[in-house]
Amino acid sequence: MAESILQKRLVLGELLDLPSFTNVCKTFVDLYRIGLKVFDAQGTKLVDMKVASGDFCAYMFTGPNGRRLCTDTVTHIKVRPLEAQPAKLEEVIASRNCFSGLRYLMMPIVYEGDMLGRVIFGPFMPEEVGDLGQDLKSLTAEFDLVKAKELIDRIRRAPETTVRRVLEHFTRVVDVLVFTSHKAMISSQLHIESVTESYREVQEKNKKLSDALERLQELSRLKSNFLATVSHELRTPLTSVIGYSEMLLAGLAGDLNDEQKDYLKTILEKGESLLRLISSILDLSRIEARGVQLARKPTNLDEIVQSAMESVLPQSFKKNLQLTSNLSPSVQKVTVDGDKIRQCVVNLLSNSVKFTPAGGHIFVSAGPAERVPASAGPFGSSGFFQISVTDNGIGIPGELQGKVFETFFQADSSASREYGGAGLGLSIVKSYVEAHGGEVSVNSELGKGSTFTLILPIEPPGVGLGMPPTGGAPPSAVAF
Amino acid sequence: MQFNTAQRELTLKIVYYGPGLSGKTTNLRALYQRIQPALRGHLMTLDTADDRTLFFDTLPLVFRAGNLKVKLKLFTVPGQVMHNSTRRIVLQGADAIAFVADSQPSKRQENYKYWLNMVENLKANGLSIEVMPNVVQWNKKDLGDASTAEAIEKMRKEGKQPVYEAIAVRGEGVVETFLGLVDLTFEQIDRVYLLSDKLGLDRRSFVEEVRRCLVDPPPVGDGKEPPKKGGAAPPATGTA
Repeated sequence: MAESILQKRLVLGELLDLPSFTNVCKTFVDLYRIGLKVFDAQGTKLVDMKVASGDFCAYMFTGPNGRRLCTDTVTHIKVRPLEAQPAKLEEVIASRNCFSGLRYLMMPIVYEGDMLGRVIFGPFMPEEVGDLGQDLKSLTAEFDLVKAKELIDRIRRAPETTVRRVLEHFTRVVDVLVFTSHKAMISSQLHIESVTESYREVQEKNKKLSDALERLQELSRLKSNFLATVSHELRTPLTSVIGYSEMLLAGLAGDLNDEQKDYLKTILEKGESLLRLISSILDLSRIEARGVQLARKPTNLDEIVQSAMESVLPQSFKKNLQLTSNLSPSVQKVTVDGDKIRQCVVNLLSNSVKFTPAGGHIFVSAGPAERVPASAGPFGSSGFFQISVTDNGIGIPGELQGKVFETFFQADSSASREYGGAGLGLSIVKSYVEAHGGEVSVNSELGKGSTFTLILPIEPPGVGLGMPPTGGAPPSAVAF
Repeated sequence: MQFNTAQRELTLKIVYYGPGLSGKTTNLRALYQRIQPALRGHLMTLDTADDRTLFFDTLPLVFRAGNLKVKLKLFTVPGQVMHNSTRRIVLQGADAIAFVADSQPSKRQENYKYWLNMVENLKANGLSIEVMPNVVQWNKKDLGDASTAEAIEKMRKEGKQPVYEAIAVRGEGVVETFLGLVDLTFEQIDRVYLLSDKLGLDRRSFVEEVRRCLVDPPPVGDGKEPPKKGGAAPPATGTA
């Protein structure tokens, strides 16, 4: 952490606003008609105001002895050590007589026990002296004493006690100025320090989060690869189980009695169910590992929907479900990955079949989109089609409708036991649809049924802009 | 600690730490009232309109101990949770800590949380509570209950640091806490910098000089542990 302002030594010149301070000094000088000097602890002159002493001092500087004695006085008042820890304020005022008979009073500026500088009042002629000093009077060879007297008389005469009181008063004013300036400086500096420190802290936390995210992404990738491998390895023997069961059922290994056939049908049914699950896991693993790879080509929308409906016909017959459709002739050719969109519709239909009680009905419609996806932005007002699957099944509670597209999610945990499935179908639908630059939504009422709607672009979003016409959606649409 | 050998000047930074509204600023205000005006600097309070400390409060005390000029700079930290970075900044270069705990039973968890926060912030400054002179002041003792008394007793038995009880708003226990901490602090710096050998300044006379800075100082203690009940504690104490 950088050194705080609280640890730094104060410098008078940095604390005070010098133009304002100079104005304050000027009001004192104008009021009391006595010169005023302020030095910081390093001896830097911050204020120097003379009152009527300029001509006299200049005259004294014309003689070699006068110059020497004058320099001695100035050096003394500037650097003479002053008591910086007063027991009482008035006790620390020091005085210095000039060889000319004039006098200076000096007082330290003490703040928090540190001497920040000194204030010098003078020169003034002490009323109790009132005449040229003896040292000056002895320099007749150097100065015309009548002229010197004439010049010195222009300088303010005052009792020393009065000047002391003025100096004490002035020093108290300086103390207030230093305190308020210090307070303001600390407030602003500490504000900056606090913000900087908070920023540093946030950066540090961001770095940790970013590292953690990287580690999690790597773990997620490893998990996806593992799932993909395992699913693949599971599918191979399962295909044999299903295949040999079918061969046995077909009588290729001889006749079977009814009980054996029933057993084999169960093996076949459960095997196919397991295969579907493994295929879903494999699809999802592929999506997570590599993102969705699309193979877009012009396809008939009718064919996609009809083919998907045919694949769920056997299950819907079993449950005595009525499966109907309405396909609008206004959208015929769409440029999509037909296999993936077909799988989306199959997944939606399978869900409907699963969650609709016997005797219910499922309705599929396809045609121009009633609205455009939010991701299309303000300019994507046309060029979308939609496929909806509506059922009068058990429905989904409102608060869970946003979650049904999450991997392994089922609206009711008991549903997976009652209806089967692992909650992967809708997650795959979402990935495929978003990869196309589309959107999937659900509208459902508990106990009355659900409608799932896919909205997809008729043409890939990049067509005509030099973007690849197939294989890939806008970056924002890729879920993984 | 800053020790200017040329100017024979010792500067110590004492920080009052603790949960919001536990009475850190009140401690400093009470001390300000008890320090002789000629020896104290300005009590600088940087607070907000609702009287909560925004950055810190600071009160300097300057005195002579032997031929050594001593500056004690007392600071409080802002207690509100959001000002953690400021707390960390104020702790920079701290020589001693007075932890002001709130005796109200409902604040027990807050005390614990802020102690841990202090330890963390000390660490961030390269400091350690294990070697830092520190005292605990259970402020607002009139608002404590039996469980508070039990907690204080337990803390005293552990004896890791002197424990004081106070009602800072009435000035009770404030000076005792301060003198107890000054005593510990001198013991620590003397151990490191051998001030008694080099400057002929021993622990008892150092604390005595600090006592002299006070208006109406409490009686000199007998060097035993702080009292179990009430705020008055001897200044020249060892560990509680």
